[in-house]
Amino acid sequence: MPDAELTTDKKNKPDTIIQLIVFRLGEEEYGLRIEQVKEVTVTPEIARMPKTPPFVKGIANLRGDIIAIIDLEERFRLRPADEELPTVSYTLAIEAKDYTIGIVVREVPQPLSVPVSSIEKAPEFIQDININDKYIEGIVKIDGRIIIVLDMLKLLTPNEIMQLQPR
Amino acid sequence: MKSREQEYREMYMAEALEAYDAMSRHISELERNPHDSQALNELFRLMHNLKSNSRAMGYTSIGEVAHHMETIFGLIRSKEREFSGSLAAVLFTGVDMIGAMIRAVGDDEVVPDSNVLLDNLDRLVRGEEPVLEGELADEEDATRKLELSDLVYIQIKKLDHLLNLVGELIIDRDRILTLSQEIGNSALQTSAAHLFRITDELQYSVMDARLVNVGSLLNKFPRVVRDVASAEQKQVELTLSGQDIQIDRNILQIITDALLHLVRNAVAHGLETPAEREKAGKPAQGQLTLSAQTERDDVLIQVTDDGRGIDVESVRRKAVERGLVGKEAARQLDDKAVRAFLFEPGFSMAKEVTEISGRGVGLDVVKLAIDSLGGQLRVDSVLGQGTTFTLVLPTSIAVKGALLFELDERSYAIPLMHTDSVVSLWPDDLHVVGGLLMAEVQGENVPVVSLRRLLQNGDEPLQPATRAEVQGRQDIIIVNYNNRKLGLIVDRFLRQQNIVIKPMTKPLDTIELFGGVTLLGSGQVCLVLDVPALTRLFLARRL
Repeated sequence: MPDAELTTDKKNKPDTIIQLIVFRLGEEEYGLRIEQVKEVTVTPEIARMPKTPPFVKGIANLRGDIIAIIDLEERFRLRPADEELPTVSYTLAIEAKDYTIGIVVREVPQPLSVPVSSIEKAPEFIQDININDKYIEGIVKIDGRIIIVLDMLKLLTPNEIMQLQPR
Repeated sequence: MKSREQEYREMYMAEALEAYDAMSRHISELERNPHDSQALNELFRLMHNLKSNSRAMGYTSIGEVAHHMETIFGLIRSKEREFSGSLAAVLFTGVDMIGAMIRAVGDDEVVPDSNVLLDNLDRLVRGEEPVLEGELADEEDATRKLELSDLVYIQIKKLDHLLNLVGELIIDRDRILTLSQEIGNSALQTSAAHLFRITDELQYSVMDARLVNVGSLLNKFPRVVRDVASAEQKQVELTLSGQDIQIDRNILQIITDALLHLVRNAVAHGLETPAEREKAGKPAQGQLTLSAQTERDDVLIQVTDDGRGIDVESVRRKAVERGLVGKEAARQLDDKAVRAFLFEPGFSMAKEVTEISGRGVGLDVVKLAIDSLGGQLRVDSVLGQGTTFTLVLPTSIAVKGALLFELDERSYAIPLMHTDSVVSLWPDDLHVVGGLLMAEVQGENVPVVSLRRLLQNGDEPLQPATRAEVQGRQDIIIVNYNNRKLGLIVDRFLRQQNIVIKPMTKPLDTIELFGGVTLLGSGQVCLVLDVPALTRLFLARRL
């Protein structure tokens, strides 16, 4: 997107505050808009599902809803292959377009309020990291932290999740 | 539980009373505007329906009145009579009489005598003046009651929702029951046991509310058969039986297309032309039977024709040509196994088979519909004598009997519909044939595979099996799909249980290996294996 347009956009609504849920994947911090997160919970017991890609950890019973649990660290290779998830992990239940899905993270996710203006479009260096830039809504720089804001709706289309799905 | 007879009577009563209400309404409209053709058409239709329903139920006197009334409304419709004066008065009396007669039937009383009315109606038909007795109408007015129908029409969507809720409730109930046993409080256990019984009954009632007669589908077929037969220039006599067998409405919906397909196929390809039949020494008229019956908890629907039958040899040839089976192996297969090839996707599209065997445009589609219900499709045929397709269907979609087993410390379920038997075998009972484990089960050689290996990721062929890998007693589930038996080695059998299957949620619903999930009493998620998909996976990965 051209820079000029971004600048005007900022000027129009400089004070809007949005809330993010921030969590750690690998070495970086990532954020999601809070309205995309249905709940945060200690990861329930997961039933491994054969014939799914390894990053799909399985399915779990979340208050009577059966949801798929995926591991984004594994999906984007943000964690050494031999390292397992800790015994206690947390799950973000995300509301995708027409279903709910769980994302497992190792540390308790934290809420964070940031002005919309602090979200910048992803710069070039983003190409170097593992997450394809089409899933990234922008980058937040605040108090010396860099938080990558993900666009979950794009990340969680069935095609994206099941891309490695065996026949 | 009410008898079928009584249930029909109640349905008749409810419909008849509703028809009477509608008649009263329409005839008043007609009085206001004698040229209201919509009201007139409705009256004609209502009379006609009431006539057929009453005659079918044996209430001939009501049928007789409705018949006479129908005739007059027919005359008004064709403008031979006008709705006015004494004619209108007689018709009003007629509608009142119908109401009184229906009520009498409902109250188990003697149906009022309608001869005076019938005489008057006859006079009107002949164009004579009716003999009116003024007091009759007045008396009727004084005793008139308002009736509300005993029958409620309900959208199937609402019943679906109710059934889903009951399913959820049962899962929670099982959880509560398990917890109450763990906690060991006797008061809690008592109320949990009560909850168990109530939910059981609730589930049964909701399932019962969804049942409809198979006849509601079968009765549509005489017309279909007539049309196809005349297009194909065949002579067909259709016999229906078992119309009063009951089945879940949605199951009937799902098999509608499949049944239509089988019937069309039977007339178009199964039955021969009159000339061919006579040449073969059969009567010119072909026999087609559509029947329904219950067998244990299942409903069997059969489509039988006395046509040319399936030529097993040409199917066998075709199966080899299409690479579905090796030439040697094909020779070994019995007729039943060969006919099962007809259900292979795309197989039946082969034109040659269609012409020679006279069978099979898109039988795989029929098969898929039945599979989706967890049912079975079988075909039996004698060359030159005819073919029978049998649909084995569950009565209800809500609950399925399942066998629970353990693999890698997780519980899985497999529907009983596709389970043949369970056996425990020792390594000595297993033999390696061509890289596959084989076991003799009930006099039949069945390939056996470790379910763990089969479920391992990747689509590459399975490693050849060796005797060394089977140590100690093996728990094996023999599954059966499309006449193919397969033994699955699991870690441990758990138990047999009725389960409520929840469909797999997105995005995992694309994995066809699992028919869904269920929650166990322990709260544990349990995957339900889909035997058709599992069999296909085995066939794809062997060798």
